[in-house]
Amino acid sequence: MTTSGLASAPPAESRPARRRRAMGGAPEDRGQLWVYAVLAAGLVILVGPFVWMVLGSFKTNAEARQVPPTWLPESPTTENYRQLFTQLDFPQFFFNSTVVAVAITVGNLVFCSMLGYALAKLRFPGKRLVFALVLGMLMVPSMVTFVPLFMLVSQLGMVNSYAGLILPWLAQPLGVFLMRQFILGLPDDLIHAARVDGAGEFRIFARVILPLCGPALATLGILQFLATWNNFLWPLVVAQSEDRYTLPVALALYAIGENNTRYGLLMAGAVVTVLPILLIFVLLQRHFVRGIATTGLK
Amino acid sequence: MKHWRYATALLLAVTLGVTGCGRDEGDSGSGGQPAGKEIAAGKATGEITVWAMGAEGEKLTQLADDFTRDNPEAKVTVTSFPFDAAHDKIATAIAGQQTPDVSMIGTTWMGEFAKTGAFDPTPSGLFDQSRFFAGAWDTTVVDGTSYGVPWYVETRLIYHRGDLAARAGAQKPTSWQGLTDFATAMKEKGGAKWGIYLQPGGTGSWQTFMPFAWQAGAEIMRDGEFTLDTPEMQKALEYYASFFEQGLASAQLAPEAVGSSFIKGEVGAFVSGPWHMGILREEGGAALEGKWDVAQMPRETAGTSFIGGSDLVVFKDTRNRDTAWKFVQFLTTPAAQQKLYDLVGSLPAVQETWQSGALADDRFLRAFGEQLKDAKSAPAIATWEQIADVIDAGVERVVRGVSDPASVAKDMQAKASSIGTGS
Amino acid sequence: MSSATARRPRTRGHRAARTTIARREHVAGWGFAFPFLLLFVVFMAGPVLASFAMSFTDLRSADLRDPFGVNPVGLDNYVRLFGDDTFRQAALNTAYFVLVGVPLTMVLGLAAAVGLDAGITRFRTFFRVGYYLPVVTSIVAIAVVWRFVLEPDSGIVNTLLGYVGIEGPSWLTNTTTAMPALIVMTAWRNLGYLMVIFLAGLQAIPRDLYEAAAMDGSGAWSRFRHVTLPLMRPTLLFGGVITGIGYLQFFEEPFVMTKGGPLDTTLSMAFYTYKQFGFGNYSYAAAVSYVLFIAIVVLTLVQFRLLRSKT
Repeated sequence: MTTSGLASAPPAESRPARRRRAMGGAPEDRGQLWVYAVLAAGLVILVGPFVWMVLGSFKTNAEARQVPPTWLPESPTTENYRQLFTQLDFPQFFFNSTVVAVAITVGNLVFCSMLGYALAKLRFPGKRLVFALVLGMLMVPSMVTFVPLFMLVSQLGMVNSYAGLILPWLAQPLGVFLMRQFILGLPDDLIHAARVDGAGEFRIFARVILPLCGPALATLGILQFLATWNNFLWPLVVAQSEDRYTLPVALALYAIGENNTRYGLLMAGAVVTVLPILLIFVLLQRHFVRGIATTGLK
Repeated sequence: MKHWRYATALLLAVTLGVTGCGRDEGDSGSGGQPAGKEIAAGKATGEITVWAMGAEGEKLTQLADDFTRDNPEAKVTVTSFPFDAAHDKIATAIAGQQTPDVSMIGTTWMGEFAKTGAFDPTPSGLFDQSRFFAGAWDTTVVDGTSYGVPWYVETRLIYHRGDLAARAGAQKPTSWQGLTDFATAMKEKGGAKWGIYLQPGGTGSWQTFMPFAWQAGAEIMRDGEFTLDTPEMQKALEYYASFFEQGLASAQLAPEAVGSSFIKGEVGAFVSGPWHMGILREEGGAALEGKWDVAQMPRETAGTSFIGGSDLVVFKDTRNRDTAWKFVQFLTTPAAQQKLYDLVGSLPAVQETWQSGALADDRFLRAFGEQLKDAKSAPAIATWEQIADVIDAGVERVVRGVSDPASVAKDMQAKASSIGTGS
Repeated sequence: MSSATARRPRTRGHRAARTTIARREHVAGWGFAFPFLLLFVVFMAGPVLASFAMSFTDLRSADLRDPFGVNPVGLDNYVRLFGDDTFRQAALNTAYFVLVGVPLTMVLGLAAAVGLDAGITRFRTFFRVGYYLPVVTSIVAIAVVWRFVLEPDSGIVNTLLGYVGIEGPSWLTNTTTAMPALIVMTAWRNLGYLMVIFLAGLQAIPRDLYEAAAMDGSGAWSRFRHVTLPLMRPTLLFGGVITGIGYLQFFEEPFVMTKGGPLDTTLSMAFYTYKQFGFGNYSYAAAVSYVLFIAIVVLTLVQFRLLRSKT
């Protein structure tokens, strides 16, 4: 599927000069054109539905259901968005999603970096067991904990509260793994030097280690925020009334309503749900890529 | 603090497997309680929280305002949410003991939730049962005790395109054979792609199917035992499937597409409840006006339809029982019932409301009122949702022709029996 | 993953650590671990064990007011599971989804990665962002959009098929097309994730290997097979395991798009667990989820064996 381009590809994106390409001549260029064409076709398929969604959100209800469908809205309207923000409580859902995602992200940054540091740099009894336990939990499907977790939250009286939405997810194993891997790569001498200077253990962590963890914290923060923002099943069950719905829950409940035929409105709801994540992603996409690569490979 | 300690204890106990205590039999309201004690006379006072779903939930505040005008010392807080979320939310609220004072409850959930012991039995002497449609009142009764009152009702009729029927020269169907002929005519002479739409499976199909079963003389339960494999049930399954076999109905059409297909004239008829009047008027617009009609359910041995809707219940954990019941009483006065109809078009559960105004004059509404007199609901058992799922799956199997009615009926009976009634 | 543990840097100079420092480290270690572990035990490890215990009882939703009043039933729930047609169907559907979905996603992800790594010189970031877009999007929003894309009459897919004279099926209500439609949608959604992982793997392959192979006169395909694939084995393994674990738990797609229908053809094991939870059969739901857990462990081990054994 690829072409002769393989051999001369730059090892990393940052490689500045591509002079060899210029010398490659016609066959390689033609090959490249093909790759561009295939990749572009793929791009259309991958991004097309999003374009369709955005266009649909500006169509009137009648037009959204017209056969054959229209591509561009014939009489663009912002009515769907107006309804979203006046008739339905989307500002509230937006607020809830933000509160929950920020709280869980901050919690994971704090707790995972602490444990990650301990696992990477400190010797203490039971360390291997703790690490094995945390890693093993990565394999447990969320459905296993679902029922008891729900019972627990019910008994704590946290159903339909922010606490119930947030507390169970403050400490996730993936973050520990990521932070540990990163901190392992920092030199031990830093810690020894700080100890010699008489710094306390917490001070070493907070003043010496954490400031160096910027990239890992950024990655973890973004991944965690994203996962939480999109999380669906737990808030669906725990959020009981509209004042606690997160965006995906609200969207799902309106979307799967049996007699719901307000297509334009649903599209607008989908746009509002997706937009913040999209912006964050496009702005910070380098961190994403690095994050995936580090969690994945190192 | 107490919660925390309790939860830790729970977790430990469950974790350690200390589970062999055995449950007390009959502690969860299954014993058939006597009616609740009477409530105090006089004006209502204090605060109550009320949950309601869907359109009714959105407009309930207006009714609550009327109530607080008459009872200035009372305060009613209304929380509304979409219907699709309601079942799980109420279940979790009961589990977490975070129930409101009053809630609207879908009629088919009454058995399940009443069995948890969370509902307050209806106080004696507060309501006159004979004012309500009999089928509606039945939905409140679980093991001989009434837990609440019907609020609004709905039933299913046969919506059809009058214009296509006229073109096809078809009469409103009155019997099973008549309905088959009607659908055939709609398809062959009326120009519809599908003569009729019947829900081909999926959640809630039983509500379309069971009327036919009742019409054939079948029942879901008799004397506490499931009767899903009777010859009558098989006959109904066969009849239902025959529309699909003969190409009169489509197994591929999604329920949410029915309205628009009907408006386009692709579907000649469908079985649905009163909410479709609004949908057809709104989406069909002027072009559809006068082109559609409703017909009563066809008769085989009976002409029964399904009765749904919602009941109002008061939870046992309420801190303001008197006001809660007084609010429920208020919502079932003819005036409040009339107002609910005016606001959202919900059909009153109280029969006398039907004797005046639009409900008496509008011929479509009269048709629903007529059908309500012969309509049944699901049995009030704790496992109903699960039994409903079994029937939904059975309906889907015969409709798609993967199994014959006899073996599906046998299979439904076996599954239902192994699930049991939960008591 | 384990390689990291092995590479752990040790500073031997400090081996002769005095006991006071060691003790201080012990205390600090547990101190740093404690907050995480507390939350972790209460909200994850505890529920995992509780769920295990629950699966041997007859706990139902009606018991929630008195959770200790349940009866132990031994292996009844598990025995019942294997006689349960719907569960068997759910297990088969899940296997179908994983066996078709994982390779499909991997092939597409690898193709995109190779294309980006080697085939083109410009617009890389642009493509990468576009391909990654579905990964970051809420599944609910995706499901909503795809339901419209797949609409029989007014959806784009059937409209496009209509242009070339094909009448497309009603994708989500047809028993033969519903599952493939979900698989394609899932592959569509996740290929960007694998692309990024594979891209990192590709960039770690030393270029001289390719150049040497090119000098030996091997063609592009042969270089891909004999240089790229073997060196990518660990990366492919990781991608396969991660995707497999995720796909075994697929739930949201059918939940929002098909409700498990038609005829239970898109009912997954995770969805079945949720359904039983909805019916209030908590202990049965726990048993289903444990079977799913075992399936995940087995799949992971199998993939490790398959891809490791050849190196």
